[in-house]
Amino acid sequence: MSSILTYIAISEGKIKRSSLEVLSRCKSIADANGLSCEAVIIDEKASTYTDSVQKYGASKIHIVEDSVFSQHRNAPLLSALSKVMEISKPKIVVFASTEGTKDILGALAANQKAGVVADVSSFEMTSTGVSAKRPLMAAKVVGNVEVTGDTILVSVRSGSYDLVETPVTADISTVDISINEGDLKAKLREIISATGDTIDLNEAEAIVAAGRGVKDEEAKNLISELARVLNAGIGASRALTEAGVYDPSLQIGQTGKVVSPQLYIAVGISGAIQHVAGMTNSKVIVAINKDPDAPIFEVADYGIVGDLYKILPAFIDELKKIKS
Amino acid sequence: MKFYVCIKMVPDVYAPFQIKEGELIMDADRMVLNAYDASAVEEALVLKENHGGEVEVVCIGSTKASETIRKALAMGADKGTHILVSGNEDFDSGSYANILSAFFKNQEYDILSLGKQSQDTDSGLTGSMLAELLDLPYATNAVGLEVEDGNLIVKRQGDTGQEMISLPTPCAVTCSNDMNEPRIPNLKGIMASKRKPIDTIDLASLGLSDVELSSNSKVVSFEHKPERKAGQKFEGEAEEIARSVAQLLDTEANVI
Repeated sequence: MSSILTYIAISEGKIKRSSLEVLSRCKSIADANGLSCEAVIIDEKASTYTDSVQKYGASKIHIVEDSVFSQHRNAPLLSALSKVMEISKPKIVVFASTEGTKDILGALAANQKAGVVADVSSFEMTSTGVSAKRPLMAAKVVGNVEVTGDTILVSVRSGSYDLVETPVTADISTVDISINEGDLKAKLREIISATGDTIDLNEAEAIVAAGRGVKDEEAKNLISELARVLNAGIGASRALTEAGVYDPSLQIGQTGKVVSPQLYIAVGISGAIQHVAGMTNSKVIVAINKDPDAPIFEVADYGIVGDLYKILPAFIDELKKIKS
Repeated sequence: MKFYVCIKMVPDVYAPFQIKEGELIMDADRMVLNAYDASAVEEALVLKENHGGEVEVVCIGSTKASETIRKALAMGADKGTHILVSGNEDFDSGSYANILSAFFKNQEYDILSLGKQSQDTDSGLTGSMLAELLDLPYATNAVGLEVEDGNLIVKRQGDTGQEMISLPTPCAVTCSNDMNEPRIPNLKGIMASKRKPIDTIDLASLGLSDVELSSNSKVVSFEHKPERKAGQKFEGEAEEIARSVAQLLDTEANVI
């Protein structure tokens, strides 16, 4: 039986929810097309994640476990994925679109002579391959893409599919791979992790995003307070990450992360197309801006025109009352 | 160090457009140097200024793409190569990577750099494809570059933090526009660019097969993105409107 293979991304000791969204989608495609729904986990502790993966319908799980996978490195990840693809012989391999995926997707396609389509918002299996929808032109347009090939790689934006539990008992198979640290040409020197224990923006149910209007410590504190009340992740526009006000990993937009939380609160963000491209798929958008003509209001479900220093304290206070 | 920067002419995403019967209609004159590639050129120029070397650019494109090459030369690149195509081809990331790979097989270079994606399609595939085809160590999404003891030190933005990676040369790197502000060519640069060499080579001379040039992904039609209507806008007394919206998020939007 041919397979559809989902790559399960692990980040900081947890399965990325977006990988399970992708697996849920692959399970339904597998059932509709008579394919074996398979998953691959590549991590130093890969075998510890199989229970959660079975819950979403993977009937075969390929495990590649080695200390070399304790951090993201493209060369060993490519070797491992190539090897698993040779074993699983998938028609389609599907990834959540993370920075880790973006780092290897093109190289893996070249290596496997596979068709590829990146960053889709939906995809279907067709008789000749895959058809998918993906945003183009800074997400102002949607393109319908047809991909052909015996093997096709697809990466999917987070939030594109719902999680669906379909528990099965998986056949778990270990794939051995020997990689010598010394053979890796690219050396990982260090990881500068500034985000610490903040909430992953791709996984967050709610996001509070700060823009140019957030100018000083007082405003930053209000952002933090609002995020705390909502248990939200904190994001920022490119203007603020470039100015060093927020960590670059928090940038939302065409250049940074593309997010789709249930609730997105844009504070002091004007709404340049590059920013909107990264958040327009959020379920509910709230914009707070003192300029009534700011383009962000064109995509906001709730637009509050006003000074953030006056709006946020009352907004936070009211949310606290509702929460309690 | 010899830098080779792959640049691309792309539609200006700010240009007005129409969609008619699934086709995207734009002003064909509104073409620009891809912003991510401009950052790659800028970074190569800075490294050349600090460490010496050469910066060459290569561009696959129609006759009009020579303007894009001139722009990079006006910024300060030393030389350009124009791989001339008609512009009507259905190239995808794989076709571009195959063409570049065929070109680079006969070139000397230390560092190949590219923008991390094209601003019109945002696929971000060509860079790592090219690295794989040329069997080069590589890093993507660079937000900082440095040259140290003959190695390229890349600061890349990963999922949770920044990774510092040391690559031996030759290597490939794809650049984010977060790493710098590309310089605007000044008059002197523009004048100088007119005297700089551009080699034009014919695609056929690279000896690629039809299979290598063919694309296996095609945009078959375009549609408008799902419309997001502007919702309610609240103006007035700050405390009052702030509290009203908070309540609506709970009772109406149901997201609290």
